[in-house]
Amino acid sequence: MKSILKLFSSVKLVIVMLIIITCASILGTLIPQQRSNAEYAVRYGQLAGLFTRLQLTNLYHSWWFNGLLFLFSLNIIICTLTRLSPKFRRAFKPKLRFEAKSINSLKIKEKFRKNWNLSNTQEMLRKEFSTRHYHLREKKEGNRSFLLARKKTLGLFGSDIVHLGLLIILAGGIVSGLEGFRTDLTLFEGQVLPVPKADFQLRLDKFETEFYPDRSIRDWKSTLTVIKNEKALFSKIIEVNHPLSYQGFVFYQNSYGWDWKNPSLEIWVKKRSSPSFLRKLEFKVGQRTSLEEEDIQLIALYFLPDFVINDKNEISTRSNEPNNPAAFIEGWQGEQRIFSGWIFAKFPDFARIHSEKEMDLILELRDFKSSQFSVIQAAKDPGVNLIWVGCGFLMLGLALAFYWPTREIKVILEDSYGKTEVTAGGIASKNRDAFQSEFETIMNSLRRLK
Amino acid sequence: MSESILFLVTFIFYILAAFFYFSFFLLKRENLAKTGFSVAFMGLFIHTAALILRTVESGHAPFTNMYESLSFLAWSAILAYIIIEWKFRIRRAGPYFMLIVIGLMALASSPLMPKEASPLVPALQSYWLWLHVSVTLFGEAFFALAFITSIMYLVANSKEKKGKAKKSGISSVKLDSISYRCIAIGFPLFTLGGLVFGMIWAYYAWGSYWSWDPKEVWSLITWFVFALYLHTRIVMGWKGRRSAYIAIIGFLAALFTYFGVNYLLAGLHSYV
Repeated sequence: MKSILKLFSSVKLVIVMLIIITCASILGTLIPQQRSNAEYAVRYGQLAGLFTRLQLTNLYHSWWFNGLLFLFSLNIIICTLTRLSPKFRRAFKPKLRFEAKSINSLKIKEKFRKNWNLSNTQEMLRKEFSTRHYHLREKKEGNRSFLLARKKTLGLFGSDIVHLGLLIILAGGIVSGLEGFRTDLTLFEGQVLPVPKADFQLRLDKFETEFYPDRSIRDWKSTLTVIKNEKALFSKIIEVNHPLSYQGFVFYQNSYGWDWKNPSLEIWVKKRSSPSFLRKLEFKVGQRTSLEEEDIQLIALYFLPDFVINDKNEISTRSNEPNNPAAFIEGWQGEQRIFSGWIFAKFPDFARIHSEKEMDLILELRDFKSSQFSVIQAAKDPGVNLIWVGCGFLMLGLALAFYWPTREIKVILEDSYGKTEVTAGGIASKNRDAFQSEFETIMNSLRRLK
Repeated sequence: MSESILFLVTFIFYILAAFFYFSFFLLKRENLAKTGFSVAFMGLFIHTAALILRTVESGHAPFTNMYESLSFLAWSAILAYIIIEWKFRIRRAGPYFMLIVIGLMALASSPLMPKEASPLVPALQSYWLWLHVSVTLFGEAFFALAFITSIMYLVANSKEKKGKAKKSGISSVKLDSISYRCIAIGFPLFTLGGLVFGMIWAYYAWGSYWSWDPKEVWSLITWFVFALYLHTRIVMGWKGRRSAYIAIIGFLAALFTYFGVNYLLAGLHSYV
């Protein structure tokens, strides 16, 4: 047990762990994470199986990577704690009876004789230290006085506060991993959905996409209403970067889309033989509509938002965006199908209608309407507050460690026949040049005083 | 005056500054370094005007694509250099550092970088864009300075070992300490801008403060390397060559985070 404690209190282990975790993290960016097995098989061939078994394909969530993080945390905790108690002693219960030797070994030091008696010299030093905001500890022993002046003591603990911050962040990560959950809610306008693991519901009142003048997307906005016990509590318009928070849940604008299964189409029917002929029809996919006075019935069998045809003449949709909307239309006369084919909203002249007889009718897909849905990510992450607290400690610790360096001055005053031998030395963890000049100013002002 | 002209004028000033610094390097006249410094300072002024104009013209922060962020990084680098030069007097680092700045400017003005300001995609419409990117890049500028002084350290150190060191040069001990001071400024900035602000923004924009996205992982790696630098130095007393190597690796990791991840690894951070 003791040897384990000793191992985990060594900084060398910290260094080794840092290097191992760094290398593992690099590996995780080189192997694409959480893809399909088929993709790995193509990429890595026979190695794919090995990679999956070693969890290299889901590295950051693997047991071994998290095990490393756990050991690393343990390492930080033990390293910090073992160094903490001597630090506390140094900060709050320092030994005041120090030897002249310990001052002589310092880099910043001075030794001289003052023509005053000891108590006057000490009083003068007290004033000097207090005007410079030093906290002074004194001890008298025989004909000698020991003075320990220190300021910015908190700087001693900068690194410990950084470590505390990191541990809180890691703890937050664990809480997020265990307690946090997120799920997508797909909502159509007007639809109400219960929020999982919550006692309230969410209604989408409105969803809209805003565009810039150049038609690129400016924002997606969903108007959400929180409903509890059949009562609408409040509404908020959410957009990217501006989620809705309620009772520990946060709702994000995540995605959107159209329901293309049942769009309503507007089709214009014209005639080659008579230019004045125009019928505007509106019907849903799958619905039959009669063309008056013509004894023809029209039906739209399919609708594709982004029509594409491959070399094998297979038709499909490339995406869910309405980039190349197309409808498959059939014309019936009684029990007989007289024509069928695709018409395109963006390419009216490109209609591919097959017909037994010559076609007099021209069909145009003028417009299509389908309901749009908004995908809202509902997230509950109880770890997140710990993360922010940890970040606060992290930054506070860094600021203290780098910009609040402790300054310490040790002085021994020795009475020799009514005069005083002064031996002084100083330590600063950082910014030694500035400290040295402060030290010299204090000593010089003591020397010069008459 | 348009932003592109101001950018070009800035570029010319930086090239002139580099020219003066290199003349100083060859002719050893202090005056030339002073001129180089003033020219770089004027360049910074014009550059600032260019960035402000860009912000006004585009209506958003001047670092939303590669061209803009390279230009901003060059601006941060000059500002960082001026601060460090003013505090520590390291004129000899001037010529090398100006080369990095010119490299960044040249890359920004290359035809590979689209320059037109495009409207902001929804994910970038946040004031965190300002905080996250500017603080991170400013921190990285100090890593770049530490990189230069670390390389200078390695050269000076090997010369001193062979007894060839010139009196006019900066001592390797001073270079080592300047590298450390640069990292002492860069590390807290990078932590604040890259990691803390990054996590906060990710939480608001993507719904999760950490997603193990390659850019996130690489900024963590960069952070680890500099943490390694600090621990080996402060706790284990490493100095000199070994410290210099870690500082160099750290800057290369930061460079890969900034550049490599975008072009070599796919992820959420596909804007810049």
